[in-house]
Amino acid sequence: MSQISRRQAMAILGALGFGATAAACAGPGGSTAPAGASGPAAPSTGAVTGKVSFAHWRGEDKAVFDELIKRFAAKHDGVEVAQDISTSNDYNAQALQKLRGGSIGDAFATFRGAQFKNFSEAGIYTDLKDSKAVGNYQKGLLSAGQSGDHQLGLPYQVVFPMPMANVDLFDKAGAEIAPKNWDAFLAMCEKLASSGVIPISWPGGDVGNGGQLFNCMIANNAPVDDMCAQIEQGKLKCTDDWFLKMLNQYKDLAPFVQPNATGTAVEPAQNLFSQGKAAMLATGSYHIAAVRGLGAKFPIDLVFPNTTSDGKGKYEGAYNATFILGVNSASKNQAAAAAWIDFLSEPENAGYYANQTAQHVSVDKVEYTNPDLKRLSPWLQKKTALAARFQFNNLDVRNAVEASATAVISGTSPEQAAAAAQKIVDERL
Amino acid sequence: MSIHPGTAAKRKAPENQAAAGTAKVRRRSPTRVNPALYLFPLPAVAVIAFFLVMPTLQAFQYAITDWNGFSAAFNYVGLDNFIRAFTKDSLFTNALTNNLKFVLLVVIAQTAFSLVLALLLTKNSRGSILLRALFFFPTILSSVSVAFIWKFIYDPNFGLANSVLRTVGVDGGAYLGNDAQALYWVAITQVWFHSGQMMVVYIAGLQAIPKELYEAAEMDGANKWQQFKSITWPFVAPATSIVVAYTTVQSFKAFDLILGIAGNPPKSSLDILSTRIYSTFANSEFGYAAAQSIIFMAMIALVTWLQRRLLRLTPKGE
Repeated sequence: MSQISRRQAMAILGALGFGATAAACAGPGGSTAPAGASGPAAPSTGAVTGKVSFAHWRGEDKAVFDELIKRFAAKHDGVEVAQDISTSNDYNAQALQKLRGGSIGDAFATFRGAQFKNFSEAGIYTDLKDSKAVGNYQKGLLSAGQSGDHQLGLPYQVVFPMPMANVDLFDKAGAEIAPKNWDAFLAMCEKLASSGVIPISWPGGDVGNGGQLFNCMIANNAPVDDMCAQIEQGKLKCTDDWFLKMLNQYKDLAPFVQPNATGTAVEPAQNLFSQGKAAMLATGSYHIAAVRGLGAKFPIDLVFPNTTSDGKGKYEGAYNATFILGVNSASKNQAAAAAWIDFLSEPENAGYYANQTAQHVSVDKVEYTNPDLKRLSPWLQKKTALAARFQFNNLDVRNAVEASATAVISGTSPEQAAAAAQKIVDERL
Repeated sequence: MSIHPGTAAKRKAPENQAAAGTAKVRRRSPTRVNPALYLFPLPAVAVIAFFLVMPTLQAFQYAITDWNGFSAAFNYVGLDNFIRAFTKDSLFTNALTNNLKFVLLVVIAQTAFSLVLALLLTKNSRGSILLRALFFFPTILSSVSVAFIWKFIYDPNFGLANSVLRTVGVDGGAYLGNDAQALYWVAITQVWFHSGQMMVVYIAGLQAIPKELYEAAEMDGANKWQQFKSITWPFVAPATSIVVAYTTVQSFKAFDLILGIAGNPPKSSLDILSTRIYSTFANSEFGYAAAQSIIFMAMIALVTWLQRRLLRLTPKGE
């Protein structure tokens, strides 16, 4: 074996350094596999076998998916589905980078809005337009997963980001559960407060959950349906009269939320509601399972804070079609991943998922047997606005606009809060 | 590839050959090492090159682009990202201000608190050892656990702080929900979390001070304060230097604690540079986030250098 001279050793180290430098100089985005000129292709077909990674953020649904995976595996010999679960915040921040390689997330879910848009632009979706699954969905609820002529994803869940109500406490206080206008809503809160309970438990210390109320408050106040997209584009402003009116209504709510609401995280807010200390939880129907898990035995309904003065608002509530299912274009097992999505989209399996997790689904012909879902099912027929906050593609803008409402509840004047939010929006135009 | 025999054997060889007075011998420096030994650090160098040098160089390259993190297309934007950070992004300047305030608060409080703890617990008595272990305990917890513990303490509804205050008839506050105070409450958490670790550094410094100096000072009539000022403080200056530098870097990088305690994204009153960079990355602005990371790196280096210059804690030559 030959010896290595000092010069050779230095040359090796130098080459290593040079290699690292050269590699570092490779241009960004080089590994991206953009969609072809004709747009995304359908998932490839083949035998339904092998391993499928299913990436999502619903840790609370793991056991339900495990059961569905068992049923899927019983139908297809040799197929194995593994859940890759992150917290919702981590999923929002990191899923795109994790899924691009295709080793994780053969099948996956995305949030509606910015994440769906980024995934579409990155070419991660295949086109499910001609899939077996798409025919099982209610047509009106598929738009959140569309991009141009392509059906990139299938919005699986239908949730109502509206305050949940403890019906027993409403009955006890003699409060109207479906207020016709803003004055009636405030009168309802007054009655609840007089009965000795906190009218609204609001997790103001949690940006994601605290912001859900925004969907209701803005629905009938805004002059157009794509108000948040227009704020982001600079066509509408937070300093506009309609926005200031909304912030003033937030100010009206301040006496009816729990003390120090802006410091309350979501778990204590859920506790206030499930323990019967608060009559409403201002997050959404997606928390039903959580509050039941905390011991809430009372009947639950939804309340829409109707912000109109005459009760003639365009909308009677707010909903969101989310948990958008997709098949990864970089996946090496697209056939099995697509079969898994088809399986989840069958009414029987979607029904199992819905009833076990207390969340409505956008799959048609599903029978809801869960008492909470049965009670809330009439909301599926009402004229509800698609949750506006998910129109924001820039998360800084979304957080700034929603923070203006939080600031008002903590005592800042609506004008000042609106100006602060608009400043952030202007910087990002 | 083979390696030369040990250096001791090599040192002997020229002497033997000179004594024999035969073949012409090339003289070697007694400190000369076998060149193959230069390859021993290769694995470590490779790891550093791939996981530190390369990403750092890439960050510089990304920082001058508008790359969104996933697209094949991007533009070179020169120094625009750096200019934007300081002139057109109030979220970034807010995070910078918060971070500097946080560093200042934590460095002062943590250094003072850990020094006081160390002074009280220098002796190796049983009680001191037990208390040292107790104060050191938070250090071994994960930052996420610490965040959740303090999130519970600060919760205005069911939290420990307000529950205790209510028993004495005092209405508690919103703590993290109060934008004017939030940063101070998190600073308290950070000090609680790391003071034990810094206390250990100080104890090591204090125990190295010769007792004779105190005995001589006492004989000269120096009181406790004079002893501290003239003996303890100068002698623990190197330890203080370590504590201040480490606390500074730690406070700049309190990412997981802030995210755990304030959620993701944290509200603007708790947004610091590391969380802002993370938000910018999550917002698919990779180029801009890379520029922010470079500013962040420069900021830590600058503050640490300034501290060393201004505090003059490290004696020359050390």
